[in-house]
Amino acid sequence: MQRREFVKTAIGLAALAGIVAKPFGATAFAADPVKVGILIPLSGPAGLFGPSSQMSAQLAVDEINAAGGLLGRMIEPEFVDVGGPPADATQAALKLWKGQKAEAFIGMHDSAVRGALTNLFKGQVPYIYTPVYEGGECSAGTYVLGETPSQQLEPVIPWLSAEKGITKWYLIGNDYNWPRDTNAAAKAYIEAAGGSVVGEEYLPFTVDNFDSSLAKIKESGADGVLITLVGGASVGFNRAFASFGLADDVVRLGTLIEENTLAGIGAENSKNLFSSAGYFASIDTPAAKAFADKYKAKNGADAPALNALGQSVYDGVLLLDALAKKTGSLDASAMDAAAEGTSYDGPRGSATLSGRHVSKDIFLAEADGASFNVIQTFSNVDAGNNCG
Amino acid sequence: MELIALYGLNLVYTIAVLALVVLGLAVVFGLLGVMNMAHGEFIMLGAYSALIIQQAGLPYILALPMAVLVCGTVGFLVEYAVIRHLYRRPFDTLLATWGLAILIRKAVEGAFGRDYKSIEQRLPGTVSVLGVDYPAYRLALLVVIVALFAGLLIWYRRSNTGARIKAMVQNPALASAVGIDTAFLSRATFIFGVSVAGLAGVLLAPLVRVEPYMGLDYLLSSFFILVVGGLGSLEGLLVGSTVIGGTDVVVSAISDKTAGYLSILIISILFLWLRPNGLYAKR
Repeated sequence: MQRREFVKTAIGLAALAGIVAKPFGATAFAADPVKVGILIPLSGPAGLFGPSSQMSAQLAVDEINAAGGLLGRMIEPEFVDVGGPPADATQAALKLWKGQKAEAFIGMHDSAVRGALTNLFKGQVPYIYTPVYEGGECSAGTYVLGETPSQQLEPVIPWLSAEKGITKWYLIGNDYNWPRDTNAAAKAYIEAAGGSVVGEEYLPFTVDNFDSSLAKIKESGADGVLITLVGGASVGFNRAFASFGLADDVVRLGTLIEENTLAGIGAENSKNLFSSAGYFASIDTPAAKAFADKYKAKNGADAPALNALGQSVYDGVLLLDALAKKTGSLDASAMDAAAEGTSYDGPRGSATLSGRHVSKDIFLAEADGASFNVIQTFSNVDAGNNCG
Repeated sequence: MELIALYGLNLVYTIAVLALVVLGLAVVFGLLGVMNMAHGEFIMLGAYSALIIQQAGLPYILALPMAVLVCGTVGFLVEYAVIRHLYRRPFDTLLATWGLAILIRKAVEGAFGRDYKSIEQRLPGTVSVLGVDYPAYRLALLVVIVALFAGLLIWYRRSNTGARIKAMVQNPALASAVGIDTAFLSRATFIFGVSVAGLAGVLLAPLVRVEPYMGLDYLLSSFFILVVGGLGSLEGLLVGSTVIGGTDVVVSAISDKTAGYLSILIISILFLWLRPNGLYAKR
């Protein structure tokens, strides 16, 4: 009892100290910490990206706290597993929001979970969605960091087509909305670049034998393949692709081939393989290098490989900080009013919020063995019209 | 013409690989009646045995004895601790081995991490066969699989051990009455089955993705094949592989992969319904 009284008094005094100190510009070090829900997959098919997401987020939180916190309040990250079905993710987020009073959310998960969360939050709490996705999210209070198909492809397809002389594209992906929406966007860019689509195929997630697809690619005479297979399917497809000797003559472009997937594809199978994304572990800029060094210093040399999905959560925390600074509070409706034009600098370069999405640099990388070489940077690419 | 040759080679290769993958399960499920849900995990253990050999910088051929060692040891422990108490209780073995599968996956995840591993292919490049450039490793694998099955078929038909196993499968009580050590024979058969699964893992590792959850891919197709082919004979296994693999390749070529997968499911359901003993049942 006494201890509780003591804590109460201490908090009261501290709060008072915070109020008194504020006008003098000092940091309110004793203010309540702010709980931020960080929703990442720690289990399930995307569980592979859990550790790198968590470590990236923790790094950003540490940096912001060391610099005085979020609006002067220490960030307390609450990591929650959303690798399961949307209903479970909603339950976990609701508990965090109403029960533990989390004041903002950052999510790196699939679109089904995002849909459920925007429905739950209804714009009443700031929510930042960080991974690559199919575009079109426009809910109130929601800010999207991830690359959209138009960002990943609009500048890249004409450039790569011209550079490698690609005229006939084969589109192959897993059978769900991200690959289908990506390919719908791709078709327009391919046509605009003077090319044609000679085949389009969607595979169920259960497929682990790609022979018939490879035969069709060969038959179609394609000289470029746009790959929107994900994870293990991408690994299996690319290994089989190279074993048939197709890699010598046919260029592969993927929009979700990150460092882990490339490691699985293997050095010997990665010839003529390109990837388009907002982040690679090997981006050669001072900001990106500094980030990678800090990540290694904190988590050791054996830390989970840096990749566009895991790293996006770091940027999510930076964006939250930038939004809070511009708004002056974490109030969702005030933030929505002030958000447009918010910008921040991170490992990916500088990014500016526009139409709930960010305009940012897009990197095209070529696989060199089991690592990526960034060969072209497209500056300040717009996320396209997502609120139409 | 060239295209037909390519599809033909794919067909033969698919059937051979399915037969290789299902062999271990056919032994354990077909002969012992153990519904081994951890079958795919033993294939995964074989692939990780190959990874250990690759990381140690040793010749790849050593991955084969390594897989037998790893899967044999795990198989021995599992048989001793769990399976031997459950013979002739198929549904109990199903639950026990499902738990075992989760345990093996988590153990490998703990030791090697969740990320994808790449097993280097020792026989890269393609060879021209019937006017088609076909991966050299696949052709070598075909030869190995055919030799393996031919050897196994002859051994099982001619050897005394083969005769004892058949006796045990047909009538365990009578077999032990005539002096066959059925407890030992069952254990040896189980270890043989899971070791064969491990060997399949080594042979396939350079071609597929390698990660702790890879085994799930192989489990379903293996059971489909046994449903169609029937339990207890190598002939049934080959017939099942041909029906399942052939349907998938042909339908996928004509239509797409979704239709191919759908047709496999329909065939499996029809067999379970109309011909539950499969095409080539001996039990």
